[in-house]
Amino acid sequence: MAYSDKVVDHFNNPRNMGSFKKDEEGVGTGMVGAPECGDVMKLQIKVQNDTIVDAKFKTFGCGSAIASSSLATEWLKGKTIEEAQKIKNTDIVQELNLPPVKIHCSVLAEDAIKAALADYQKKADTK
Amino acid sequence: MDGHTHHHTSDRRELQMARSMCWHCQSEVSGEYFCDRCVKVQPVSKELDYFTCFGFPRRLSIDQQKLETKFYELSRAFHPDFYQNKSDAEQTISLGNSAMLNTAYRTLRDPIQRAEYLLDLEAGSVKDIRTTPPADLFEEILELQDTLDEFRASDRTSDAAAALRSQLQSERTALEGRQRDMETQLQQLFGRWDGLQDRGEATDQARAERDRILKDMRDILSNRTYVKNIVNDLVATIA
Repeated sequence: MAYSDKVVDHFNNPRNMGSFKKDEEGVGTGMVGAPECGDVMKLQIKVQNDTIVDAKFKTFGCGSAIASSSLATEWLKGKTIEEAQKIKNTDIVQELNLPPVKIHCSVLAEDAIKAALADYQKKADTK
Repeated sequence: MDGHTHHHTSDRRELQMARSMCWHCQSEVSGEYFCDRCVKVQPVSKELDYFTCFGFPRRLSIDQQKLETKFYELSRAFHPDFYQNKSDAEQTISLGNSAMLNTAYRTLRDPIQRAEYLLDLEAGSVKDIRTTPPADLFEEILELQDTLDEFRASDRTSDAAAALRSQLQSERTALEGRQRDMETQLQQLFGRWDGLQDRGEATDQARAERDRILKDMRDILSNRTYVKNIVNDLVATIA
C-alpha cells in the first residue's frame, strides 16, 4: 500500500510539531491513543478571544497518524472554538486520501481535537 | 452464562434454532457439525464464538493439548480435500468451516489474542470499558520519542551520543521490567476471571467483579501495546 503524496508531504515536513506548556494561559491539551495499534497522539491548542491562534502536535505512530495530526493543527489555526468542533475525521480522510485501513488514524486526530477543546473549556470554566 | 445480557441470550437461542435443522434433509441435527441422519456437514454459524466452536467454556487458561487435538479432529472433518466429490453446497460449507476453524485456532492458541477476543465478546455488557487514556504513560512515551529523535540526529561518535545511548538503554531496561509486571498482572486477572466463571454466580457482586476484571484487562492490554511499540523502537534504534 502506498501513501498518498499529501501524507508523504506531511510526514516529511510535519507542520507545527512540538508542544506548549500544559498550564500556560489559554492552552488546551488533548492526549489520545489507539489501543489496537499503540499510536499515541498529543495535540494542543492556544486560544485567545475564542480563536485558536496556534496549535501544536506530537505523534508517535505511523505515517498516516502523523499526517492526520499535522493536518489537524494546520486546519485548527485561525478557527474559532465553534468552528474547530466541526472538524470531522472524514474531512481528514478526504484531504489525505487515506485508505480504509488507515481511517482509524483520522479518528484519532478528531478525538485529539475534541480532547484539546474539552481541556481548554474545562480550564476556562474553572477560572 | 451471562444471563443478564438479554440480547446475547436471545441471539444464542436463534443460533441454536438455525443450527438445529439440517440444510439438506431438514431433520433435526443433534450432532455437533454433522447431521445424524444424512451425515451431511453442517455450516458453522458465523455467530458462533470460537470458544463454543471448540467446545470450551469462556475461560482464559485453556488446555493447549486439548485445543490442538480438537483442532486436528475438526480440520480433518472439514478439510476441502475430503469434499472434492461432494456437492457444491457441501464444498462451500467445507471451505467456510475450515477458514473459520483456522482463525478460531490461531486466536485461541495465543493467550493475548485469546484475552482480546474474550474482551470483544464480553464488551457488549461492559459499556464503559474504554477508559481514560493513561496520560502519564503517553507523556513518557512522547518524551522518550524526543530523546530517540535526538539520538538519531546525533553524531554517533560523540560523547553526547554515548550519554544518550546509555540513557536510552536504562529506559529500555525499565520498560522491559514493566512489561514483565504487566504480564504477571494479566496472568492474575486471567486466574480471577476463570475463578469467577467456574463459580458461575449471578449475584450483583459477581457482576461487579466481572466488570472490574474486564476493565483492568482492557487497560493492561492497551498499555501493553503502547509500551511494546516504544520498546521495539528503542531496540531498533540503539541496537
